Amino acid sequence: MDVSTAQLAELFVRSLGLWWVILPGMLLGTIVGILPGFSAQNTLIILLPLTLYMEIESGMAFMISLYCTTQLGGGIPAILFNMPGEGGAVATTLDGYPMTKKGQAQQALVLCFAASAFGGLVTTVATMAALPLLAQLGLYFRSVEMVVVIVFGLTLIAAIAAQDLMKGLIAGFFGLMIGTIGVDPVFGTPRATFGLLELYDGVPLIPALIGLFAISEAFVMLESETIVRNEDLSKAKNARWADTLEGLWLTGRYWWQTVWTSLIGLVIGILPGAGSTVAAFLAYHYSKLLSKTPELYGTGHPPGVIAPESANNGVTSGTLVPVFALGIPGGTTGAIMTIVLTYHGIVLGPRLFIERPEFVYSVYMQMLVCYIFMALMILPLARYMSRVVWIPTRFLVPLILSLVTIAAFSEREYVFDMGLALGFGVIGYIARKTGYEVTAILIGVLMGPLFEQYFLRALRVGQGDPSILFSSTLGNVLWAMVVLALVLPWLRSRRRQGVLAQTVRAGHE
Amino acid sequence: MTTRSPSISRRALFGGLAATTGVLAAPSFLRHASAQAAYPSRNMRVLIPTGQGGGAEKLARSFDAAWSKLLGKPFEYEFHAAAGGQVGYTLYVEKREKNGHNLLFGNMGPEMIMYATQKPTYKFPQDFTYFCRTDIDDSCVFVRRDSPIKDVKALVEAAKRRPLNVALSRIPHPATIGMMALADATGAKFNYIPYGGGNPSFMAMLSGETEVGALPIANTLALNDKFRILGVFNETNIFAAQTDNAPTINGAFGTRIPELSSSRSWAVHTEWADANPQQFDLLQRTAKEAHASPAFREQWVKSGNPVEALVWGDRKTCHDYAEGMVKLALQYEQQLTARGGRK
Repeated sequence: MDVSTAQLAELFVRSLGLWWVILPGMLLGTIVGILPGFSAQNTLIILLPLTLYMEIESGMAFMISLYCTTQLGGGIPAILFNMPGEGGAVATTLDGYPMTKKGQAQQALVLCFAASAFGGLVTTVATMAALPLLAQLGLYFRSVEMVVVIVFGLTLIAAIAAQDLMKGLIAGFFGLMIGTIGVDPVFGTPRATFGLLELYDGVPLIPALIGLFAISEAFVMLESETIVRNEDLSKAKNARWADTLEGLWLTGRYWWQTVWTSLIGLVIGILPGAGSTVAAFLAYHYSKLLSKTPELYGTGHPPGVIAPESANNGVTSGTLVPVFALGIPGGTTGAIMTIVLTYHGIVLGPRLFIERPEFVYSVYMQMLVCYIFMALMILPLARYMSRVVWIPTRFLVPLILSLVTIAAFSEREYVFDMGLALGFGVIGYIARKTGYEVTAILIGVLMGPLFEQYFLRALRVGQGDPSILFSSTLGNVLWAMVVLALVLPWLRSRRRQGVLAQTVRAGHE
Repeated sequence: MTTRSPSISRRALFGGLAATTGVLAAPSFLRHASAQAAYPSRNMRVLIPTGQGGGAEKLARSFDAAWSKLLGKPFEYEFHAAAGGQVGYTLYVEKREKNGHNLLFGNMGPEMIMYATQKPTYKFPQDFTYFCRTDIDDSCVFVRRDSPIKDVKALVEAAKRRPLNVALSRIPHPATIGMMALADATGAKFNYIPYGGGNPSFMAMLSGETEVGALPIANTLALNDKFRILGVFNETNIFAAQTDNAPTINGAFGTRIPELSSSRSWAVHTEWADANPQQFDLLQRTAKEAHASPAFREQWVKSGNPVEALVWGDRKTCHDYAEGMVKLALQYEQQLTARGGRK
């Protein structure tokens, strides 16, 4: 596939000329991302008549800018209120919200925006450089490899629950149990649905997310005057542009972290069925695992915000790779874009790269332009948005509760989901008050069905022989990484204890 | 400031109530009357019991490019894919107003198999009726272009030596029944792996996780450069030219496996159709016109799909097909459900 630099420059200029669809797409994407329950997929479906009607170039520019910005928007409530707007922003709450509580909401938002924008830029450029090669990547991840990827995600439960492993595991298993509700992935037989039609598709992620995070956090918020601790409120109110710039400086300091975690997102984005939530959790997990200061994660540590945010934006670049290269979408967003592309007569697959390579690059150029616009928004958006947390909780909580309850309804339009969200809200509140990690519960709810689906499929491929799980080289390498992920923190803590003990002994002597 | 306690006589109260009821009821009555007079009076709402971006959505949108112009109303879509379509059908029957403006666009083949095996609460044809078949999408068996298996006889020979992994959209599907029937007739052994849709099944084939695929032919043909179609579960292969003259399974083995195709159709509440014969007639007539229109066909072909698959069918054709699929599913019930799967 040959596209010259001059052609790329021309495509870039043409993409800039599409600002009139990119900017509204970004605005809408930010709003959709901020509101829990409103996903890019649902919005794209609602707007499908519009995008089908538009010229293909402007339609794609609009959809892409909306999709990419949704990931950024999802991080905003995750940081400010501990309420992820999107599944991909759940991991952002782990360090983003503690930063807000310390009066560093501005810095956290800048980290989130900058990581999203630069992570997205990195992966868009990487995809443009190696598109046909990346398309092959998805073919190496079969059911067995996906089982290991999901197991790796599940080990995050143990990592998150480092303070109290037993409680963390109980929360994780509770989530896994909830994840088994719904029809089985092979024969479609209902399990634990109690005849409720609304549960046939399993426990829906959005009401669970809203309940466990948003509603339970709203209950907790009511216990204090403001979100920010009183002693840090004046610090937050006196924040200046210098504080905003500090976030940018921190992103620069951790630039390498942004690069490699966004590439994790890119790879996960290419794989069918994984998505931004899995990518963000894996990136967070790896970031903590490879950090020299893993004990700082969960306390408001900047890399804990950078990793999930750059990963979930990395996913956006990967989503379209199988669509263009193979003509096979890996997820719902890709499928919706496929509808628009084929409706306009675009022939997807290898022929596209031979007949219309410039079209493929034009789409990625539009993505690039979107991320450049996003980078320009970082400072003003972070500075003014962070002020929301000054509002007293007696005003904020009713507003949040009414918004998120409607949001719970919005995805599937079931009143049942509003009740479900409230139920999860109570579970989340009890969990928070008794020291059980709500994130661990959510990981179980989210990863449990994925694990079951890939595990059962792998076993069927192996015709019932469990040794299939260790039959591939890539799979075995991934298994080794899982073991390492479990053993490394333990070895580290032993080493630290050893060193400490020696120091103490030396002091005594 | 003085206040006067309100006093309302019984006559005034009942008069007021009657007037209020009249005012409140008037729009509903007028709406009903206008709906009787002019149909359709508002947007058509379509429930699709499969996921977004699949073959059903592509076909429905191509169809509505022509049909919406004939009906003079735009179409709106919602998707409820869970439990093999069971959720979508139940919602349609139990929760959607029976007013002729709510339609369902379903894949009769797999969804009637699901109906037969899962025994849902709704009843066919009492609760809904299919009235416009849009296409016949024959089930086919295929391998990768670089597979050592070159024809369907070689496939069966290989499957007699060891069980071959077959990528399927789902277990309750016409293509699955086709493979089960082929196995029964020839002694071949197949290991059925459901991937939850055509796209993930294609990925499983491309990655080499499965050696054989059994899916509807239209989407498989769209990936003709990657896959070789070995055989078709029908009496004739209407895509002979595009499939290197792949034989029918019955032709190759002398079997009598019934026609196994996916076939999509528009459906409406039976109660409404029976109570509003003129409006239902309008719906059927315009659907037939839309099916024959160049606008639909051009849009379908533009989406990369074969025009040969577009075969119209009326209410009776759809009914017979659906009933036939239920009978077939009941024959294979043990293998299509968890009860048989455990054996």
